[in-house]
Amino acid sequence: MKRLNQLFQKNEKILSIYFTAGYPHLNSSKEIIIELEKNGVDLIEIGIPYSDPLADGPIIQKSSQIALENGMSLEFLLHELKDIRAEVDIPLVLMGYFNSVMQFGIEQLFKRMNEIGLDGIILPDMLIEVYEKEFCELFEEYDIKSIFLITPSTPEDRIRRIDKMSKSFIYMVSSASTTGVRETYDDNSLAYFKRIKSMNLKAPILTGFGISSKQHFDQVCEYSDGGIIGSAFIKSFKKEVPIQQSISSFVSSVKK
Amino acid sequence: MKIKVCGLRVRENIVHVDQLEVDYIGLIFHEESPRFFSDQQLPDTMAKKIGVFVDKDFELIMNTIKEYQLKAVQLHGKESPELCRKLLKSDLEVIKAFAVDDDFEPSVLSDYSDSCSYFLFDTKTHKHGGSGKKFNWDILQSLDYSLPFFLSGGIGPEDANAIRSLRLNNLIGIDLNSRFEDAPAIKNFDKLSAFIKEIKPMKYKINEEGYYGSYGGAFIPELLYQNIQELKENYLKIMESDSFQDEFIRLLKEYVGRPSPLYFSKALSEKYGAQIFLKREDLNHTGSHKINNTIGQILLAKSLGKKRIIAETGAGQHGVATATVCAREGLECVVFMGALDVERQQPNVQKMQMLGAKVVPVESGNKTLKDATNEAIRDWINHPEETYYLIGSVVGPHPYPDMVSRFQSVISEEIKNQLKQQTGNVNSDKIIACVGGGSNAIGAYYHFLDDENVKLIAVEADGLGLETGETAATTAAGSPGIIHGSKTILMQTDDGQIVEPYSISAGLDYPGIGPVHAHLFETGRVEFIRATDDEALKAAFELTALEGIIPALETAHALAALPKLEFKEDELVVINISGRGDKDMATYQKYIESLKHPYQPPKMLTQAEHEDVNGLFIP
Repeated sequence: MKRLNQLFQKNEKILSIYFTAGYPHLNSSKEIIIELEKNGVDLIEIGIPYSDPLADGPIIQKSSQIALENGMSLEFLLHELKDIRAEVDIPLVLMGYFNSVMQFGIEQLFKRMNEIGLDGIILPDMLIEVYEKEFCELFEEYDIKSIFLITPSTPEDRIRRIDKMSKSFIYMVSSASTTGVRETYDDNSLAYFKRIKSMNLKAPILTGFGISSKQHFDQVCEYSDGGIIGSAFIKSFKKEVPIQQSISSFVSSVKK
Repeated sequence: MKIKVCGLRVRENIVHVDQLEVDYIGLIFHEESPRFFSDQQLPDTMAKKIGVFVDKDFELIMNTIKEYQLKAVQLHGKESPELCRKLLKSDLEVIKAFAVDDDFEPSVLSDYSDSCSYFLFDTKTHKHGGSGKKFNWDILQSLDYSLPFFLSGGIGPEDANAIRSLRLNNLIGIDLNSRFEDAPAIKNFDKLSAFIKEIKPMKYKINEEGYYGSYGGAFIPELLYQNIQELKENYLKIMESDSFQDEFIRLLKEYVGRPSPLYFSKALSEKYGAQIFLKREDLNHTGSHKINNTIGQILLAKSLGKKRIIAETGAGQHGVATATVCAREGLECVVFMGALDVERQQPNVQKMQMLGAKVVPVESGNKTLKDATNEAIRDWINHPEETYYLIGSVVGPHPYPDMVSRFQSVISEEIKNQLKQQTGNVNSDKIIACVGGGSNAIGAYYHFLDDENVKLIAVEADGLGLETGETAATTAAGSPGIIHGSKTILMQTDDGQIVEPYSISAGLDYPGIGPVHAHLFETGRVEFIRATDDEALKAAFELTALEGIIPALETAHALAALPKLEFKEDELVVINISGRGDKDMATYQKYIESLKHPYQPPKMLTQAEHEDVNGLFIP
C-alpha cells in the first residue's frame, strides 16, 4: 500500500477528513469519498459506526447511532466500497472500535481491505501492547498500516516506541478529550504541540480532535504535518443542502 | 492449595515473603530450633501468623498468642487432644503435627479428629522436624483422614510436580521451610516465588498480564493509558500497605458495620429442604455490598492524590455508596446514571443529591447502566489528571476487576469464619449470588474458588425470558467481545454492536459480565442459571413473608434460584443477600397492584378447539 507513504513525500500540509459511514444516508459513503478527493482533501478516514464509541463526543456518537439505524454494518460498508478504487486514488483508512473488527474477524477484514485497496486502520482502543502481542504479524502479512494515537499524557519513551512501530503516520490527539468541536487551543495544548515537534519523530504527525476551522487547521499545521477534521465536517451536513455542495463549501472553508 | 512458610525470624524477610500472598507465616517458639523466634518486632501481614510449639502448656501458648497476635498454632510435641480442643475453643486454628516414618501408626489420628482444624505430616526425626528430608509419601495414600492436612518435611523447589500429582482429596496445603533458605530462617524470595507460581496455578485468579484465562486485559483508548498504568502500578502496593489495611478494616467494622451477619433461615430451610444461610450484605451502611468496594477505592484514590470522583450507577446502590464515601472524605462526586434509571430509582437519586453528589442523567443509548458507564469513561478521558473513576463492579480494564474482587472478597472471608463458628464447617456446599457485572458474586465466591467441592451458582436476570430477547442473561445470550475496556462475554449483534439488555432490576440490566465471571463460566467452575422478572418478584415476596426481610430486586434473582435447584437435607447453602429493597418499593407496589387486578389475557382457542368450532359451524 504505497498510497499512504507517497502522501507524506509531498511537501505540503495534509488535510484529512473523517466521516461516519452510513451518515447522513446509508449509501452516502461512496459519494462523500469521491467529493472529498475532488475538492483536494489528502486523506480520508472512514468511520465504522459503533454502538458504544467511548472515545467520541456527542456529534460522532449521534452520527454513529443514525448510521446504525440506517442499517450500516462493516459488511455493508465493505460491499459498498468494493469498486471504489475505480473512482479514487486518495489514501483511505478505516477507523473503528476493536470489537467491530474482532467480531468480523481481523484476518477476514484484512483480506477484504486488500481486495478493495484500503490502506490502513485506526483502532483507538487497541493499545500498542495488544497490537504487539497479538496482531503485529497479521498487519505486516497483509501490509495494512496500523495508526496509533499519542496524547498529552503519553510519556516520552512510549511516544518513541510508538514512533518506531508506526509504518505510516502518528495520530496526535490534540488534548485530553473525546472527539468534538472546540473553540481554541489553550497554552497547554500549544506547549504539547511544541514538545512533540521538538522530538523530531521519524513518522509524520497528523493532529486531530477538536479541529473545526481554518484557524485551527493552520495552527496545528505549524507544529505537525497536517490535521484531521471529524466532528466539524459531520456537523456541516445539512438536510436541505446536497452532499456535493456541502462538501465543497466545507473543504474550501478550511483549505483555500 | 494453601501455602505455609515456616521458620521466619527477620522483619524484612517476613514483609518480603508476605508479598507472595502465602496463607501462613510460621514462627517457631521452640528454643532448640535454629529458627527459634524471640523478642522481635513483628510487621503486620496479609498471611495468618502461626506459632509452632513443642510441648508447651496452655498458658504459655496463650501468652505468646496475645503477644504476637497469632491466629493459629501448630503443635509438634506430645500435646493432648484436650489441650488442642482448649486452643480450638479459644478461637484459634489448631494444626496438630505428626512425625511420620514407615512405622507410622495411623490410629493415633482418630483421637485428634474433633480437637483440631488440620493435621500436618512431617518427617520423623529426633528433633521435632526440620531435617530437610522427606518421608515416604506413599504412606499418605493409605491413610484414612478425618481432617484436611498439610504436607511438610523437606519439600524443595523441585517437588511441585510430585505434589500436584499426589491427588489426595484432603491435602489442603504444604509447609515450606529449610529448602527455600539462604541461611537458617532467611527465606529466598525468588525460590519461593517460582515454586508458589508452579504449585498454585492461579486457575481462577488474574494473571500477570491482567487476564483471567482469555478474558480481561485493557482495551482502552490511548487517552486512558496513563490513568490505567498509574492504577496498575500502585493498587497492590497501596492495598497491601499496613496503613491502608488498618484504615480499611477499621472503616468496614466501625462505619459499615461489618461483619455482616450470616443468618440461618429456618423458614427457607424447611421449605426447600436444605440448611439455608443468608449473608446479610443488606444490613451494611447504605444498604448493599457496594460500600465494601467504595470504601476501599476512596482510600486508594486519596492515596493517589485525586480530588474528583466519578462513578456510574444502575440501581443507584453504587452511586449512593460512592456519594457516601465522598461526603465522608470531602471529595467532589459526580455520578452518571441512565435517564431511565434516574426515573425508576428516585429514592437513591435523592440520597445521592443529599450526600452532595451531582447526578448526571445520561440520555444516550437505552439510558441505563451501559450508557452511564460509557459516559463516565468519556468524562474520565476529558479529566484525566485530577479525576478518579470509581467503578462499581468487577468490570472495566485491568486492574479494576481484580481490585474490586479483592475489596469484595471480605464477604467470603466472613462467610468462611461464620460457617465455621455456626456449623463447624468452613465450606458451604452451595453459594448462590446474582450477577450483573458480578461484584457481589465474586465477593461471595472469592475464598471458595479453589475449593472445588463448593458449588458456586450465579443467577443472571432473564427479564421476560431468553426466547423473547428481552433479557439480561449475558452468558446465555452473549458471546466473547469487548465492553467497557475488557474482553469478556457480552450481548451483541453479529456486527459487534452491543445489544441493549432488559431486566426489571436496574442493577442487573447490563449487557456484559465481569471478565472473571466469563472465565468462571467458560471453565465450568460456576454454574450460571437464569431468573425472570416474575420469578424474582415472587422470590422477593416469599422472603419478605417468611423472614421479614425485603430484599433488593437484584438479590431477589439469587433467591429465585431456590425453587430451581435440588438440595439434600443436610446441605449447607449460602445465599448472598446483596442489598435491601427500600429502593424498589415502587416496583413492588406495582406488582401488588397487578396481583389485585390481574391482567386477563383474551381467551385463545387451542388448535383442537378451533377444529371443534369449525366442525360445528361449517358442516
